[in-house]
Amino acid sequence: MHNPKSDVTHRYKYVRADFLKHLAGTTLVVAVLTMGLSFLFREPVRPALHIRTVATSTPLLFEKVAIGDLTGTGIIATYGPPYNDAKGHVQSPLQKLVGVIHPVNPAQDFILKPLEMAAVLNPDVAAALSAWHAAPVGQRQAWADNYAHALAHARVVGQTVAVPPGNYGPVQPMMAGLLRLGQSGLMTGALDRSPADYQFDNQNSLLFLQGAPLHQAAKKLELLGNQWGIIHEENAPYPGPWWMTIVTAIYQVPYIAHASSGDAFALMLGMVLFVALMVGAWVPFINEVPRRLGVYRLIWRDYYRRYEHPAESPPPKSDGAEGPS
Amino acid sequence: MNWTEYVRDKIGILMSVDTWLPRELPEYAFGLLYTLGSLTASSFVVLVVSGILMAANGPQWWTVSAIGFFVRGVHFWAVQAFFFFMVLHLLRVYFSGAWRGGREKTWLLGTLSLLVAIPTAFTGYLMRGDFYSQWNAVQAKDGLNAMGLAWFNVLNAGQMYGLHVVVLPLTLSALIALHITLIRVKGVVPPYPARDEQDQDAPVPKDGVPHAQS
Repeated sequence: MHNPKSDVTHRYKYVRADFLKHLAGTTLVVAVLTMGLSFLFREPVRPALHIRTVATSTPLLFEKVAIGDLTGTGIIATYGPPYNDAKGHVQSPLQKLVGVIHPVNPAQDFILKPLEMAAVLNPDVAAALSAWHAAPVGQRQAWADNYAHALAHARVVGQTVAVPPGNYGPVQPMMAGLLRLGQSGLMTGALDRSPADYQFDNQNSLLFLQGAPLHQAAKKLELLGNQWGIIHEENAPYPGPWWMTIVTAIYQVPYIAHASSGDAFALMLGMVLFVALMVGAWVPFINEVPRRLGVYRLIWRDYYRRYEHPAESPPPKSDGAEGPS
Repeated sequence: MNWTEYVRDKIGILMSVDTWLPRELPEYAFGLLYTLGSLTASSFVVLVVSGILMAANGPQWWTVSAIGFFVRGVHFWAVQAFFFFMVLHLLRVYFSGAWRGGREKTWLLGTLSLLVAIPTAFTGYLMRGDFYSQWNAVQAKDGLNAMGLAWFNVLNAGQMYGLHVVVLPLTLSALIALHITLIRVKGVVPPYPARDEQDQDAPVPKDGVPHAQS
């Protein structure tokens, strides 16, 4: 009767080995290999997407992102926990349970606070902000909504965005001022603020770029989720993080890719598969699969040749040049 | 045997130079396939050394120093080597049924090491500070938020730096150390019994671990 607890041979002997030499040898091999590869190929670097680049090369896209934050219709404004109380990207009860632990108010944090800094340098922005703050909430929302609709018919003129005439109140100079701030290169610093002054957290500048700006850049590099994105290295033929292939593969299943809870489902499924791998050693039948597959007879082919046909091939003496792990 | 004797005996085995640097090894445990685990551990050593050099010089060293960029390259290729050898090692031990003979915990710690290695490497990708860092951060946040892991804020480079250079490597080091300890104490799994041996009523050791017959 097969017994996984004792399914090991008792026919073998020990031979001399220099284990220290073995370990020193493998470490030397890896050290030389990695230094050689670094010397020859270095490491791929894909320059970061700067807010300045977005504001300069695609001013209309910049303003569309910004007005979404101001009107409360943008991706982060409607996201939900951990950023705010909205429900747009709530995928599981766990996400809701954790709550708002990284609070973000896009209108305040992404638009108005940076504009307050820009207002010190730009009187047009200062006047527009005063008008904005003096107006009732409903009026502000109407101005912002009008401007958001107008952007569908806007033109880019040089480095500025021109919208058809309309009732935008101070929103037009506010957006023009924010675009100038973006083009100056100062907006990243305006977004990533810390009470301690030293900046270690780039959450808000990344969340501002979240959506169309980063997705458009990633699509060109075939890094989107449905392009097996996260495991690609952006500069082929450099290898990427291929060890995340299984989770990335789960994202390619159409049902999961299009599900509103796709991220939760993919990661949960990946975790379940991993746990199955970990505990499979204790599960009857599952832990016998390698025995049934028989690949072990290739791994220990010399051993079986020696012990199943001892007359044909007597055990050779080993000098113990290598060791196990 | 009382418990103090038991602990003393176990510590004696654990601290023995014969456990860690044996002069003899089972005859079946030689060859390239039995070098994969050591190559994985050696890759981890190179990762730690290159990582310490980078940590000592700050996360943006590579942007101002050719040596920094070279060391970052070594770190990058060592990650590739680490996972490459680890996956090959995993395949070898899986097809060997390496959990047999009371070695289930060794298997568990090895697979757990792989599980922890993934976020360890991923947080490293977030340290590059290039488009890849930006994209991976915004992509990963949705899944982590959905799993209730929003505390793990991939958009916070400061938090990711601490996790990448201290918390996760220390956790991974501990898991790898325990994994290797169990390998050294329990020994490398012997082959499945030969066909004629399976027909015999071979005595089964009490602890399920076979002993040398030399």
